[in-house]
Amino acid sequence: MTCNTFRNSTLLASAAICLSVSASAETLRWASTTDPQTMDPHAVNSAPVLSFLNNIYEGLVRRGQDMSIEPSLAASWEPLEGEDGWRFNLRQGVKFQDGSDFTAEDVMFSYQRASNEAADVRSWFAPVADVRVVDDHTIDFVTKAPNPLFPDSIANFMILDKGWAEANDAALPARDAENYATMNVNGTGAFTLVSRDPGVKTVLAPHAGWWDEAGHNLTEAVFTPIGNSATGLAALLSGEIDFIQPIPLQDVAQVESRDGFKVLEGEETRVIMFGFGHEHEKLLYSSDVSDANPFADPRVRLAAAHAIDVASIDRVLFRGKIEPASQLVPADISGYSEANSSRPDYNPDRAKELLAEAGYPDGFSFGLKCPNDRYINDEAVCRAAASMFAAVGLKAELSTGPVRDYWPQLREDDFDMYLLGWSPGTFDMEHPIRFLMHSQDNDKKLGSWNFGGYSNARVDELLPMIQQEIDPAKRQMMIDEVVKTTQSEVAYIPLYTQPLIWAAKDNVDLTQRADNFFMLRWVTVN
Amino acid sequence: MVYFIFKRLAQSVFVMLAVAFLAFSLFRFVGDPVSQMTGVETSVEDQERLREDLGLNDPFVLQFARFTGNLLQGDFGFSYRTRQPVAEMIVTRIPATLELGIVALLISLFVGIPTGVYTALRPRGFVTQTILMTTLIGVSIPTFVIGIMLIFLFGVQLGWLPTFGRGGTVQLGGWESSLFTVDGWRALILPALTLGVYQLTLTMRLVRAEMMEVMRSDYIRFATARGVPMGRLYFRHALANTLVPVITIVGLQFGGVIAFSIVTESVFQWPGMGLLFLESIRFVDIPVMGVYLVVIAFFFVLVNLIVDLLYVAIDPRLRIKDVS
Repeated sequence: MTCNTFRNSTLLASAAICLSVSASAETLRWASTTDPQTMDPHAVNSAPVLSFLNNIYEGLVRRGQDMSIEPSLAASWEPLEGEDGWRFNLRQGVKFQDGSDFTAEDVMFSYQRASNEAADVRSWFAPVADVRVVDDHTIDFVTKAPNPLFPDSIANFMILDKGWAEANDAALPARDAENYATMNVNGTGAFTLVSRDPGVKTVLAPHAGWWDEAGHNLTEAVFTPIGNSATGLAALLSGEIDFIQPIPLQDVAQVESRDGFKVLEGEETRVIMFGFGHEHEKLLYSSDVSDANPFADPRVRLAAAHAIDVASIDRVLFRGKIEPASQLVPADISGYSEANSSRPDYNPDRAKELLAEAGYPDGFSFGLKCPNDRYINDEAVCRAAASMFAAVGLKAELSTGPVRDYWPQLREDDFDMYLLGWSPGTFDMEHPIRFLMHSQDNDKKLGSWNFGGYSNARVDELLPMIQQEIDPAKRQMMIDEVVKTTQSEVAYIPLYTQPLIWAAKDNVDLTQRADNFFMLRWVTVN
Repeated sequence: MVYFIFKRLAQSVFVMLAVAFLAFSLFRFVGDPVSQMTGVETSVEDQERLREDLGLNDPFVLQFARFTGNLLQGDFGFSYRTRQPVAEMIVTRIPATLELGIVALLISLFVGIPTGVYTALRPRGFVTQTILMTTLIGVSIPTFVIGIMLIFLFGVQLGWLPTFGRGGTVQLGGWESSLFTVDGWRALILPALTLGVYQLTLTMRLVRAEMMEVMRSDYIRFATARGVPMGRLYFRHALANTLVPVITIVGLQFGGVIAFSIVTESVFQWPGMGLLFLESIRFVDIPVMGVYLVVIAFFFVLVNLIVDLLYVAIDPRLRIKDVS
């Protein structure tokens, strides 16, 4: 008897039974701030959805505890011969949660579903030219150009059952209205859905026929979204939940001071940076410079970089938990440029010199835009930065707002300088080059988050070469060149890597992965 | 009487239309739903196509006309965030909010009226002064702080009561109730107290003021002189005459309790309409926000109507006027 079946009963007595059963050690109760919007793996490309559904669905490849790519539904893969692309040799004997067999047809169907216009994940398949089923357990993904990273880039491409989806009218992802797959699942993963009450409670149970050896000891996992961080902390400390992600920095001491609880800290892969309105003709929010855009001058951008004291931000706002960033990815991401690992030092005098050289000895005022609900301490970081800028004469008029309002402002070029955080979805340096450094090009779907319109012909030229280069050494040389170029031009001011802070009861062992995904298959409750 | 009720309900349609109009004119400033519905890797082109398909590029008047037209046909639309039907999302959340609001109201009445009477009869007593002081502190602290304090005291330190959610619920013909299980009541106490504390203070002070006024009136003196028993005097003669203004204020406040349970629901992760509304704001879920506000407007109208009907039940003079 579970609490779920109890919901349909009217007997008071069963309340007690429900309580006693759920107190058993193998149940994990966990909370996070956001409820996954849907159970459809192709409908919404958002971290809460992908993180949650990776417990239920699986991809051809998956990421291990250290983020490395390992075989999942594909037992192995190799480059195609005579054309560009990859052949995936699928695992035999894999069953979906409803008992049906997993075959190449399911992969083909999932590809068509996920690359459809109604799917939010279709950008993953932009490099794909054709997909061919070779036999029941072999499938070829033909790419438009050599694409050495393609297998890595589809780790979150989840496979669902063709027969199940078609029988339930869920052949396409639900974009405008719900369909069967919004609330129901049929994956191959380690856990399956028992019940779902959106925004309230979602219950998972292990998939008995899972092909891999279970690394967990759970019999049930209950997820509750708790939006208010103080409520989440209270729920943990009162013992009603076993694990919560994330907790605010200021609560770390509170959790650590109590017996029976632990804080898990790590580095997320998200780099926080300042961006500039490179292509703007003039400043929008300046009270003293109205006919020019000083940030078009790399010396001014470098001055801004020298004005920021990341060490102080770390000490005062983050209690020493952030890692200063030299480039748009942290050091453990593939493609990280070792050759360019130093960042502009904190040097207000140099900043003032540079401003004087650029013709602004007294500085100038400008508008700084920041979100206040997107990144850890985002507003506080901007306030701190604004006072650091002011010390060298850069008078930042700070305006902050919720992220729902922030992205539209950035898209409309309504800023002089802005704060942005970027986590590379593919865990490779190519990702930020494609989205943040390549010139804005809507036709080629490149530079879509390059709000300031940074543009360098050599970077644009190098991106496709980086994407296609098979030889790791040559590839790294080209990435090094991009990083060096963008550093010397101060395309962005990378600030720091954001920390990842989770909290759990002492008796819960779990893995904190750098992408902030919580995988139930590595959880043991002692 | 039937005509009166019908007229009020007809008026409510206009109130709801006005609320919907105001809400819609504000939604444009809440943010961009499309950037909340899509992932970072989604191309600008795909975002634009989605925006076009959802009709977000249409002029405001057209969007409003489409929304109200669909509403009038009973089509509440689908949530941008979860893709579920909005009607279903709101209907499943109504029981939680109503139960919380009603229990909060009952707490405020059953505690507020007796203490109001007591503090009126013993205005200078030590107990009275203590009650007045504590309730004053109670209303001066913001709701969310009271909620958090209660959670940390009774949930975390003492471990007596759950800190979030509704506990054990029971399905009664589509109405998910937490009033029929011990677990459900345990979960209900703290949020209901948090939500009801302001109402309680208001009721108590109102009853106290009215009562003190009534106790000075001539008919009470005569009744005292005639030797009417004290219990009957206080509760039958005096209290009944204080109730008309109390019901007005409490009734009108109840609409507010339902509408502004948002804060309490957020602090206790109470899965009612208010929490749904908060989540919807975060995701710029325009269909849900629109329908929620219209439903709340309807509640307000309904509560006012009930207050008017209660007057008639309590005050015989109004009944006579109605007949004449």
